[in-house]
Amino acid sequence: MSAATKTKEKKPLISPVLSLILSIPVPGLGQLVSGKIRRGLLLIGSFATLAFLYWWRLKAIGHRQTTLIDIFKKALQLNGLFTVLLLIGLAGLYAWILVDAFKQAKKSRPEGTGIFFLILFLFFAVGWQISQIEMGKLTSRFSEAWVPLKKILWPWDAAITYEKDVFEAAAQILVDSDEAPPPVPEQKEGEPYLVANPTYGNLSRLDENNKVIPGSRINLKGSGFKPETLTQIWWADSIGNEFRPRQEGQYVTVITDKDGAFEYDLIMPYRLTPPSAVGLQYHEVMARQIFEKGRALPSEPLILTVDLIIETIFMGMMATFFGIILSIPVSFLAARNLMSSSWITVTIYYVTRTILNIIRSIEPLIWALIAVVWVGLGPFAGIVALTIHSVAALAKLYSEAIENIDPGPIEAIQATGATKLQVIRYAVVPQMIPPFVSFTIYRWDINVRMSTVIGMVGGGGIGFLLVQYIRLLDYKSAGIAVWFIAVTVSILDYVSANIRKRFI
Amino acid sequence: MLEIKNLTKVYDDGTVALKNVSFDVQDGEFLVVIGLSGSGKSTLLRCINRLIDPTEGQIIFNGEDVAALPQSDLRHVRRKIGMVFQHFNLVKRSSVLTNVLAGRLGYINPYKSLAGNFPPSIRKRALEVLDHLGIANQAKKRADELSGGQQQRVGIARALMQDPELILADEPVASLDPVLAHSILGTLESLNQETGITVICSLHYLDLVQRYATRVIGLRSGEIVYRGTGKDIRQMTDEEFKDIYGEEAVRVSAGKREE
Ligand SMILES: Nc1ncnc2c1ncn2[C@@H]1O[C@H](COP(=O)(O)OP(=O)(O)OP(=O)(O)O)[C@@H](O)[C@H]1O
Ligand SMILES: [Mg+2]
Repeated sequence: MSAATKTKEKKPLISPVLSLILSIPVPGLGQLVSGKIRRGLLLIGSFATLAFLYWWRLKAIGHRQTTLIDIFKKALQLNGLFTVLLLIGLAGLYAWILVDAFKQAKKSRPEGTGIFFLILFLFFAVGWQISQIEMGKLTSRFSEAWVPLKKILWPWDAAITYEKDVFEAAAQILVDSDEAPPPVPEQKEGEPYLVANPTYGNLSRLDENNKVIPGSRINLKGSGFKPETLTQIWWADSIGNEFRPRQEGQYVTVITDKDGAFEYDLIMPYRLTPPSAVGLQYHEVMARQIFEKGRALPSEPLILTVDLIIETIFMGMMATFFGIILSIPVSFLAARNLMSSSWITVTIYYVTRTILNIIRSIEPLIWALIAVVWVGLGPFAGIVALTIHSVAALAKLYSEAIENIDPGPIEAIQATGATKLQVIRYAVVPQMIPPFVSFTIYRWDINVRMSTVIGMVGGGGIGFLLVQYIRLLDYKSAGIAVWFIAVTVSILDYVSANIRKRFI
Repeated sequence: MLEIKNLTKVYDDGTVALKNVSFDVQDGEFLVVIGLSGSGKSTLLRCINRLIDPTEGQIIFNGEDVAALPQSDLRHVRRKIGMVFQHFNLVKRSSVLTNVLAGRLGYINPYKSLAGNFPPSIRKRALEVLDHLGIANQAKKRADELSGGQQQRVGIARALMQDPELILADEPVASLDPVLAHSILGTLESLNQETGITVICSLHYLDLVQRYATRVIGLRSGEIVYRGTGKDIRQMTDEEFKDIYGEEAVRVSAGKREE
């Protein structure tokens, strides 16, 4: 009743037509001037922002075009749906704002919200284009992704290797020179034997157009190997780096005859000579037969993963430990009830709180980047980063625990004639322990979680290994690391939730 | 047993909570302190065991001036004065038994007690006290698992562990419903009558005052404005009542709540 009379009294500041005219050059100005200030500002801001974003995206889609028409044509051609949809949307919005300008100035009528849904929708459409969402990729690329994904989901056959017996012979080769070719090795009875002829030659190299110039051809003759067995040819450079040379894209392998002998013409592989190398460069060519003897052993990725997951858990633990020690004194400075006695302590309180908030708002991963610069790569950097973040987080939680101490029991224990120490032991400590334990366990949980990723920026722990395996496209090994991370984190989660439940 | 002489308390912010308060308490009395909120009841009770340091005046307890004692000597006086609180003031997360045992802290070696162990004789005593108050079966529970009435019994048990000569009870039933209020005050009354423990208790409900008090003092703005027996208060005039509870107060008949 009173609201109705009030709205009748409140006359629109300008006529509907004037409002409409004002909104033609600046959509939303009519609303603004007719007294709907917030609505007007919102409409002006939204329309201008949307129009700008639309223009900016069109230019991005149709780049290299100079004139307005060309840009539009190009965009229409490359991303017609977006170009047309938003153009219609913006035109619709413009028209709607004009109608709205007229209506809003007419009488105090309820301010419709439909127009804002249109604005929201347009922002959503622009956002879709800007963030390059292509839902199609989720399915179209899935079959490709499934291969590595399968390896990550079930990597366990890579967790085991079998004990190996290696049967091998080697011959020295002088590289890119013929000054002092190495001698032919002596043959020993019952041992594999490899003769290279000649024992010197040129490595394959690249010309200025990155085309391969094949190296010298070397005749390899082997004998004394296991008969009728696959034999791998290996190459080792002058500093002992081994690799398997390829010929026509395939690793070089030979099969021995029934006497255990073979013959093969090898083109010397491509290998850069390390800049530190001086003098004559002797490389080695090897023939290798590898037999798996059957005893199962943990594979190297498995061993490394276990090593690093332990490192990770302890990184989290050490960071929590240092975090506790450092945050306890800080938490007293950050507890309002302890710091309210004078303006100096109040100042300390605010300064401490502010610093803690700043430290906490920076992600541990960023701290790790800083710590790596500070103390170098490795787990210690991770510990430093996590400690910094933990101190800030724990000090805040502890100080809140201190602030929440109930003074009642303290008074009651004092009244029994207890000494100060007894009061602390029987009234303060029992109130402090549960939140303290609960926050600390929670923090440890977070720290272990964080240390699984902190390695990605060089802060030690399993993250480093995981990133490396993924970069090497070794998805099975990566899968082992992922599994260990998942299991560790969920066990920890369960344990920490259980402990915390008991202390609340 | 207790003589308060010219007790004055001025808080740091200048609030005068008690003005020149004097009164005596005899052995075995059940003295009830009444007064509006903010009249100084809590301040008065807390001065007696020096939870609050009085500004001026004397508090003579068994011939010794408590007000003049240095902090280090308070232990021996405090352990003879039990205290019961409106909000029970139990350590919520500790067990009932631990809360009760804490009442004995004033007697046992301060350093030995830090480990958390109490001599078996004291544990036995604590269980007896709990049994006497009818909550022996709750001893192992966490204090905050108990109902309000049970928690206040734990509060009383803690005070009893002190072998107190005097119990100060600051609105012990203000956060309990009327039935529980009677039950708790009944407990205090029987302790008062059977073991001769003197009780000083502040109360808000007039009917409770009339039922339990052997003597009443009324405070208003930190001054004693009324002295009488429990019987006197039953026949209190409106004038006297307004003296205590302020001009705007309306008399509430016994049994109804007075705000
Ligand atoms: N720590 C303090 N600092 C300053 N003033 C205080 C403090 N404690 C109490 N006061 C003031 O002293 C006066 C008496 O307070 P007191 O708590 O003794 O009253 P009360 O009678 O117990 O009241 P209630 O019935 O509400 O418990 C009040 O004006 C109160 O505001
Ligand atoms: Mg009070």
